[in-house]
Amino acid sequence: MGLLSGYVIYSLSFLLIYIALATILHLQFSITGIVNFGLVGFWGLGMYLFALLQTKLALPFLPALILACALVGMTALLLGRVILNLDGQAILVGTLAFATIIEYLTTTEKWATNGVMGLGTIKMPFDFGRSTDQVFFLLILLCLVLLILYTAKLKTSPYGRLLLSIKDNEVLAQSLGKPTFRHKIIFFTFTCILIGFFGALSAPLYNYIFPRMIGPGVTFTIWIALMLGGRTRLLGGMIGIVATVGLFDYFIETVVPIPTQYAEMVPNFKFALYGLMLILILMFRPLGILGDKKKEGVK
Amino acid sequence: MRTKALHLQNVVKKYGGRTVVNVPDITFGTHGIEGLIGPNGAGKTTLINLISHKVGMTQGQILYYKDEKEIDISNKSFDEISRLGLVRSNQIIQDFESLSIRESMLLSLATPKYEKFYNIFCDKELRKSTEQEIERYLDYFHFDNPDGHALSAGEKKLLDIIRCMLLKPNFLLMDEPTAGLPQDQTDKVVELMRRKTTEEGMSILIVEHDLDLIWKVSENVFFMAEGEILIQGVPDEVRKNQTVINKYMGEGSNA
Repeated sequence: MGLLSGYVIYSLSFLLIYIALATILHLQFSITGIVNFGLVGFWGLGMYLFALLQTKLALPFLPALILACALVGMTALLLGRVILNLDGQAILVGTLAFATIIEYLTTTEKWATNGVMGLGTIKMPFDFGRSTDQVFFLLILLCLVLLILYTAKLKTSPYGRLLLSIKDNEVLAQSLGKPTFRHKIIFFTFTCILIGFFGALSAPLYNYIFPRMIGPGVTFTIWIALMLGGRTRLLGGMIGIVATVGLFDYFIETVVPIPTQYAEMVPNFKFALYGLMLILILMFRPLGILGDKKKEGVK
Repeated sequence: MRTKALHLQNVVKKYGGRTVVNVPDITFGTHGIEGLIGPNGAGKTTLINLISHKVGMTQGQILYYKDEKEIDISNKSFDEISRLGLVRSNQIIQDFESLSIRESMLLSLATPKYEKFYNIFCDKELRKSTEQEIERYLDYFHFDNPDGHALSAGEKKLLDIIRCMLLKPNFLLMDEPTAGLPQDQTDKVVELMRRKTTEEGMSILIVEHDLDLIWKVSENVFFMAEGEILIQGVPDEVRKNQTVINKYMGEGSNA
């Protein structure tokens, strides 16, 4: 496992977390039609709650994880109740505002979060000596695989069809007797809990967490990745994350030999290049790299 | 004659200062198939929207009768009313672009039991238990490719009607159900409506401009103009009524 150690395993773990977030965004946006621009808010909330429960209340890993997810769920439920019957743009602004509030709270509420000084140290749930990071990586991988299997199965289930019908034509779904608002709240809460769950799993990886980690950049990166990879496809998020975060943050920074005087420009150029890639993709392949399955029946 | 299904009392809808619907007292559903006719802008579609609560009314009360129970649906939501068995089909073509014809029918047939986010392994069970019913409709209407998407306006219109029928409503509101359909499909829809009303006790209210169809299928006709229901009666009376001729069909018409 020499290759999969240290920085590489750490990077790969985060890659998996980002893929999970992009897959959850696929569930929310591409299947249900909920425009969640506050993704990082739920992720950060899960991360901070888990860290607080572990460091301040000294809760063990599993209770802290469950409690953090439950609290994220309650927050999502409340937010969903307020904004989910508004139109798409209002939901976009509402969720974005929510994420901004969370970021500010982690900065201002120093008594709990230590503000910009950062909160830590957050411990791994187990200790296998030198291979602890690798086991944790496998744990995240397992969670991601389960998430992808769930998403794949959901798409062909009655509930998946209900969600698609809400995305396509909510009023028509209502006319068929479907309580669409209730289902949007339920599914939004459920998927936000998943985001919070992966947030909680991120905390031990970071070890120390800071408010700037949960800035809007995370949300934008994941949105760009999903659009890039193919928003209508199960693996679109994965492809998109590999093509953005994987390519720029890890491959170019760690493998490609860039002269030191240019190296510090990479992070600055990153978002510009994401943007450029997005424009090119939207121009030439509007549904992303994977595109759309050819609609059956179209002649 | 069957028992009434809907009773509207003092139902008024105003947009700004303009009254578009004003129905003091009317009863629907005392016959199998009833027709609602009137010139454009008479408020027919608005009335349908009020009954199904797609739009809210300014004032009034709507009582709905199901299994000899009286239910006040004035304050119920759009989806709740549909679950009570009061269903509507659409005038303007509506479809789910992500769902194939068969999936769309499955959506209509899926009960809340199947629609749980954690219940993702029940698709086979649902398909099996509904297979016969879906096949019956697919045989009857002949879609080119039931596992593809509804392509033409006609297919979408038929699918809209099938989705409503699959809900097995007590009372079905149909807003121009056959507009844009070829004659053979129109005949099939009409036959289906007749069968549902005679065999399954469904009541249907149709809004139509195709008067031949109205005279042919309805047992009771309401004539609406300027937001009010002016006349009701058997088709032969209504078509000979002087007000209807003046306001709708025009002088010298023998439609």
